[in-house]
Amino acid sequence: MSKMEEPPLSLATVTGPGKLAGLIPYIITGLLLLFLPPFLPDYYQSLLVKVLIFSIFAMSLDLIMGYAGLPSLGHAAFFGFAGYIGGILMLKYDINSFWVVMPASLLGTVALAGLFGIIALRVRGIYFLLVTFALGQLLFYIAWYWRSMTGGDDGLVGRLTPQLGIPGITWDPTIFYYFVLLFFVLSFLAMRWLTQLPFGTALKGIEQRELRMESLGYDTWTIKYLIYIIGALFAGLAGLLFVYFNGFIVPRNLGLAFSGQVMFMVILGGAATLYGPVIGCAIILILEYIASLYFPERWPLLFGSAFILTAMFVRGGVAFYLDRFWNR
Amino acid sequence: MDRLDALRADKVSKSFEGLQVFSDVSFALKSGERWALIGPNGAGKSTLLNILSGVLAATSGQIWIGAEDVTRLPMHRRLHLGLSRSYQLNTLFPRLTVMENILLALNGHSSLKNQLFHRIKTTDRKFQRMQEMLHSVGLWVKRNSYVSALSYGEQRQMEIAMSLASEPKILLLDEPNAGLSESESTNMVEMIRNVTEGSTLLFSAHDMDVVFSLADRIMVLAFGKIVAQGTCSEIQCNSLVREIYLGSE
Amino acid sequence: METFVLNFLNGLSFGAVLFLLASGLSLVLGLMGILNLAHGALFLFGAYVGISISKAGGNFLVAALLGGLAAAAVGLIMERVFLRHLRGLILEQVLISFGFIYVITNAANWIWGTATQVVASPISGSIVVGSMHFPKYRLYLVVIGLAVYLGLYLFDKTRIGAMVRAGMDNPEMTKGLGINLELVSTGVFCLGIFLAGFAGILGVPILGAYPEIALEALNLALIVVVVGGTGSIQGALLASLLLGMLDSFGTAFFPGLASFSIYIALIVILLFRPEGLLGRRA
Repeated sequence: MSKMEEPPLSLATVTGPGKLAGLIPYIITGLLLLFLPPFLPDYYQSLLVKVLIFSIFAMSLDLIMGYAGLPSLGHAAFFGFAGYIGGILMLKYDINSFWVVMPASLLGTVALAGLFGIIALRVRGIYFLLVTFALGQLLFYIAWYWRSMTGGDDGLVGRLTPQLGIPGITWDPTIFYYFVLLFFVLSFLAMRWLTQLPFGTALKGIEQRELRMESLGYDTWTIKYLIYIIGALFAGLAGLLFVYFNGFIVPRNLGLAFSGQVMFMVILGGAATLYGPVIGCAIILILEYIASLYFPERWPLLFGSAFILTAMFVRGGVAFYLDRFWNR
Repeated sequence: MDRLDALRADKVSKSFEGLQVFSDVSFALKSGERWALIGPNGAGKSTLLNILSGVLAATSGQIWIGAEDVTRLPMHRRLHLGLSRSYQLNTLFPRLTVMENILLALNGHSSLKNQLFHRIKTTDRKFQRMQEMLHSVGLWVKRNSYVSALSYGEQRQMEIAMSLASEPKILLLDEPNAGLSESESTNMVEMIRNVTEGSTLLFSAHDMDVVFSLADRIMVLAFGKIVAQGTCSEIQCNSLVREIYLGSE
Repeated sequence: METFVLNFLNGLSFGAVLFLLASGLSLVLGLMGILNLAHGALFLFGAYVGISISKAGGNFLVAALLGGLAAAAVGLIMERVFLRHLRGLILEQVLISFGFIYVITNAANWIWGTATQVVASPISGSIVVGSMHFPKYRLYLVVIGLAVYLGLYLFDKTRIGAMVRAGMDNPEMTKGLGINLELVSTGVFCLGIFLAGFAGILGVPILGAYPEIALEALNLALIVVVVGGTGSIQGALLASLLLGMLDSFGTAFFPGLASFSIYIALIVILLFRPEGLLGRRA
């Protein structure tokens, strides 16, 4: 049973089945993630945490953009919104229990996505890009000017740790790492489960031939709406974890630049694969770290050039080449 | 009216920004009838099928499936009322395999929950019917190939097969044998005939051989109206139709 | 009464700035279907070039023209080397232009530094409205804005405009008619970029020139395009004037909430007419 190879027709659609020749790479990665970190120097461990958090963010965009074909230029709005809710609850209202903060920020993000989705899904293609951008900027503007609530352009700052209410936990970076890893694994499994279901195939169908899907009996608007909200949910989760990790949140985390960055991670890694965005995320954050050591001033130049070159030449993403290499 | 018509069009008209495609299309198809829609090029056959299936909205008039007024009903809801269609240009999912295409087609008539979360079993009757259909045209062996790797003829067969997946009561086919060779055409007709026993069929075609082998009734769309409709023999004798088709096969 | 006139003039001139800023973006988007996110960065680039020329003793208008040309040169590279290979691939084009934001902005920072640049308004003095003053320079901008609009309107009516639109709808046919589509497309794209760079230094006395303006200007230009609709230059004009007026009167009635009314207008459009005032549903 040989699969016939064919190159992707556009960036946002790699037709990998999402399988890298079985479970081996997952097992290896899993073991590394589980056992390596306590031995890593603090800074590298912290970088790994950042990669995990942004991977959740990137995978969530892959669901929306890679699988369903909805190119959103405003996805950071959900990331930032959840982060701000968390920050506001903890820093302004002194509500610290994780079991309150997490549901609150996730529910808030879902509600926001419910509202934004209704507006954005009335249009397609370039209009969708523009409308999602506009919605994101709206949120950015509110965050910037509502100083009393959001701290304005200074943002919200505070050293925060998740209050789980479990006695005996003293937070150190390693424990926090495993905390984030848990969410990463759960998110990955959840999203993977979703894409392996007929739901995933339906999304791909919508991305490739929406009209045909409707003729076949699929209510494509509702399906798109659902995945938009689910994507927002996971982006929100990443945003909340980010606040704990980063210690501050600023309007920039809601803005166009941020949305563009995560889009790059998805494209570079390979859209519609889930593992691709994780790889893309790791590559970019590692490069960013290296740049910060040797040429911090010129990192944007490198980043922008990488963006351009990827869009021109590496159209299926790293995952496409990995997949090919593995299945040879 | 002794029984409800399967599909009925009532004074349907369609205009695009000042260009009128047709002004008064009216017909009633009874359940189980097999109609061919013929007419000169540009008469609006595809447009009519698009309106009947919901791709386009009629400018005025009404469309009924059974007792339901579906004029404003979205496409996907019409499928759930038993209306399925195929397209003149192949609209398969290019970056999915044959199998994935089939699964999508099979799941189309389920509820939303099932469409998204329910995996079709290979023991499912509809699945097996599909399997037979594909097997008969030699596509089952290629079920793991990407659709874009199939030949045109194979894709065309898939196109029709997909529209049959939901076992529709009413089937609209837009030029089912477009671009097919003589023998491929015959096979296609055979496949359609076998699988649409008892369903209502409306298809557009240029080739009169295909028309006569598949249809028992014909409607002629010309000059913005249905100018003639009736059994094959009635139409063959109709002088107006002869005039329209003077010189063509 | 005179406050009203003042607000009106403010609105008019801010609208002119918005139009000058957004027209290039709208042109390229409308005629070629390309969403050029680097628009703001090119605006910045043109402003910096213009300021340098102006400081070297050049005439203001000349500085603006040269700023436009410098930006257009960058645009030429963007189009010839990169975008032309990706015709019809919307997402890829957007990503390329996004990458260029970083490249151009960072290069500009490298060359000119990151400090805010200022340049004196070329036309000093104000007209007198009752007991208030209104800067002449702002009226100058209205005139220029109008001139640009007329120029673009006529351009759209010419054969070139028709050619580009034909090229977008049906490239094969257009080429078959003997039209050098490549040349025309590149030309239109560079024209759009030229407008961005040209608007650069013109906007400096009102908006300033600093690195962040690459995104801020893009933001404003995109809002104009969303509100006005992507199809037409008329849409951009309408939206610019509307938003300019709203901003002016809005700030007068609710001081301290800068740009508030622009975002209100944005919300209203998104809720009730997401394709824009003069746009068409996708």
